[in-house]
Amino acid sequence: MKYVIVGNSYAGLSCADAIRRFDKSGEVVIISDENYRAYARPLISYYLEGKTTDETIWYKEDDYYEKNNFDLMLGKKVVSVDTNAKRVVLEDGSAVNYDKLFVGPGGTPFIPPTEGFNPDSPMMGTFTRFDDAKKMEKAAKMSKRKEAIVVGGGLIGLKASEGLRALGLHTTIVELLPRVLGLALDEISGNITSKKLNENGIDTATGETVTKINLDESGNPVSVLLKSGKELPADIVVVGVGVRPNVGFLEGSGVKIDRGIIVDKTMMTSVKDVYAGGDAVVIYDVINKRPNIIAIVPLACEEGRVAGTNMAGVYREYPGGMGLNSVEIYGLPIVTIGLTNPSNETQSVFIFQDDNIYRKLVFDGEVLVGAILLGDISGSGILSAIIRQGLKCLKYKDEFLNGNIYSFVIDNEFEIYNINEGYAIRGDFEDLPEFSRTNWR
Amino acid sequence: MSKKLTNLEEDLKKNQIEIMLYPSKCDGCESEGFAACVKACESHMSEKYGSKYAGARINIKKKGNKFFPLICHNCDEAPCVDACMPGARYKDLESGWTVTNYKKCVGCWMCVMSCPFGAIERIGKDHFASKCDGCSDEDTPKCVEACKKGALKRIGIKNYSYERRLSVAKKIYGPYIKSISKQY
Ligand SMILES: Cc1cc2nc3c(=O)[nH]c(=O)nc-3n(C[C@H](O)[C@H](O)[C@H](O)COP(=O)(O)OP(=O)(O)OC[C@H]3O[C@@H](n4cnc5c(N)ncnc54)[C@H](O)[C@@H]3O)c2cc1C
Ligand code: SF4
Ligand code: SF4
Repeated sequence: MKYVIVGNSYAGLSCADAIRRFDKSGEVVIISDENYRAYARPLISYYLEGKTTDETIWYKEDDYYEKNNFDLMLGKKVVSVDTNAKRVVLEDGSAVNYDKLFVGPGGTPFIPPTEGFNPDSPMMGTFTRFDDAKKMEKAAKMSKRKEAIVVGGGLIGLKASEGLRALGLHTTIVELLPRVLGLALDEISGNITSKKLNENGIDTATGETVTKINLDESGNPVSVLLKSGKELPADIVVVGVGVRPNVGFLEGSGVKIDRGIIVDKTMMTSVKDVYAGGDAVVIYDVINKRPNIIAIVPLACEEGRVAGTNMAGVYREYPGGMGLNSVEIYGLPIVTIGLTNPSNETQSVFIFQDDNIYRKLVFDGEVLVGAILLGDISGSGILSAIIRQGLKCLKYKDEFLNGNIYSFVIDNEFEIYNINEGYAIRGDFEDLPEFSRTNWR
Repeated sequence: MSKKLTNLEEDLKKNQIEIMLYPSKCDGCESEGFAACVKACESHMSEKYGSKYAGARINIKKKGNKFFPLICHNCDEAPCVDACMPGARYKDLESGWTVTNYKKCVGCWMCVMSCPFGAIERIGKDHFASKCDGCSDEDTPKCVEACKKGALKRIGIKNYSYERRLSVAKKIYGPYIKSISKQY
C-alpha cells in the first residue's frame, strides 16, 4: 500500500501517525512545497518575539521521519491530481503514484484588493509561513521610521502585530469590524483587549480599511490611506486578513469543492481513496449545526487522524468540530469557545466582570453553547468539553461565572465513574467505549 | 478489512505506571494543614526541573465535602496533544504517557482550553502550562508514595481492569460481593 500525503503540517502529520498506528509497513510519502521540515506555523509570531527559536520551532523531534519510515519530499509543489491514474503531478513535471491520497494543503492568505499592495516588495507581505516571518525580521531591520501597518485584526493580524511590535516597530492594526478578534469576542472583551494592545504600543484603528498604499520610487510603502481619509506613516505593511482553502491544485481532479473541500464522515472526498483534512476542508460545525470551515490546529489534528485511520483500513467517523481559540495578549489570557455572540432570542447570556476578569456564558435553553474567558482561564477545557458535547448545565451557571468550573468535573466524576470505588487514570479498553476519552470531545 | 482499534500488545507494553484514584478516600489532608501529595510533587518537580518549571502538578479540588485529587487522566487520544501548537505535549510511546517538553512550551494555553478534566494549570508568571506527566520515569509516583489515606494507588491496566470489575460488581451486588471475593 502506498500512501501519499500532500501538506507537511498538522493535518498531514496527524494522518501519517494514524496510518502508522495501523499499518506498520505501508509506504508513506509526505510532500510539501515548503523547504522546512514540519514547524509550528502559529508560532511564527513567537519567533519574531524570540519566545521560540530556530531550535524549538520544529513540530516533531529530529528523527521523526526516519523513525516512522516516512519519505519526505520538501520543496515540491503539487500542481495537479489525476484521480483516474491515481497520481499527483509535481511542478517539475514528475509524478508520484498513490493507492490512497491525503490532502492537507491548509490555506493561502486572502488579500483584499488594495491599491499599491505588492507582496514582492521586501517591506510588504502576508503572514502565514516561516519565510514570511523571516522576511519581516529583515524588513524590521531595514525600516527607518519603525512604523508598521497590519491589515486585519483577527488572530493572524493580532499575532503579526505582536511580532512586529516585539521587533521595535510602532504598529497599527486596521480592522474592518468594530473590534479586534471581532468574530470571537464581544464588545466588552474586545475593548479590554484593545486597551491591552494600546498600552503596549499597538494602535487599533477599528471600523476602518486601507484604501491605498502610497509607495516610494522603489515600490516600498511610505504611508497608507484609510477609508476615513486619515493617512498613517508605514514602512512595513502586512496583510493578515485570513486564509482561504488552498485548493487550486485540485482543479480538474473531480474532487468536489464548495469554498473548501467537501468530505464525508470518514474524511473522504467525493473521489474514492482521496481524503482531506485541516484548514482546507468543510466539516460539520456542531455548534452552528451546519457545514463550516474551521481553521484551527486541534481540528486539523483530529481530522487528519480520522482520515489516516480510515486510509489504513480501520473504519472511523468524524463527528464534527467546533471553533475555539486561545491567545495571550501581553499577559492577558483570552479563551473563546463555540458561539460567543448569541444569534437568536432563545439564547441567553450571563456575564461576570471585575477588574481583571471577564467571563461570559451563552446558553441555548439549558445547553451551554459558548463562552468567553478573559484573565482567568483555569478549567476552560472543561467548558470546551461541555460545549462540544452539548451538555445541559444551566444549574452550574453561577458556579461557572464565579470560576468554580471544577465543580462540574467533581460532581460528574463522582457520579459517572461511581468513584467511591476508585478508577484508574487511563481507561481500560474493555469496559469503556472505544477511544473512551475522545467521547468527551 | 476492519481491525480492532486497540492493540493489546501495545497496551501491555504501555502497562507501566497507572495511577488509580479513590477520591472518596481523599480528605484533602485538611487536618494536616497541607496536602501530602501536593507537597511531595512540589519538591520532586523542583528537584527535576530546578526553579523554572517547578510547582506541583497535582491539585486538590474541593466541592462541599467532596475532595478530588486532580491530575492528568492520560487520555488515549489526548486533546492537549492535538491542541499543542509547538508539539510540547506529546505521547511518549514507550511509557504510554502524555508528557511535556517544557522547553518548547510558549504559553499559548491551547491545551488549558482543551483538557476536558481541567488538569492543566496556567503558570502565568513563568509562562508555561504545567501538568502531571505521570512520573513515568519513576518507580512509584511521588504523590502515590505520599498519600497515606489510600486515595492514590499505583496500578497496571490489568489490575485496574480487575479492580474496576470488582467495583462494578460491588455496586450491583452490594453486600454479597464480600463473600464472592473471598472465594478467590
Ligand atoms: C500567524 C498564525 C497564527 C495562528 N494561530 C493559531 C492559534 O493560536 N490557534 C490555532 O488553533 N490555530 C492558529 N493558526 C491556524 C493554524 O496555523 C492552522 O489551523 C494549521 O496550521 C492548519 O494546519 P493544516 O495542516 O491544515 O495546514 P497548514 O499548516 O496550512 O499546512 C499546509 C501545508 O501544505 C503545503 N501545501 C499546500 N499546497 C501544497 C501543494 N500544492 N503542494 C505541496 N504542498 C502544499 C503548504 O506549504 C503547507 O506546508 C494560526 C495561523 C497563523 C498563520
Ligand atoms: S492533560 Fe488533560 S487532555 Fe491531556 S492527557 Fe491529561 S487529562 Fe487528557
Ligand atoms: S501552553 Fe504550552 S503545552 Fe500548552 S498548548 Fe501551548 S505550547 Fe503546548
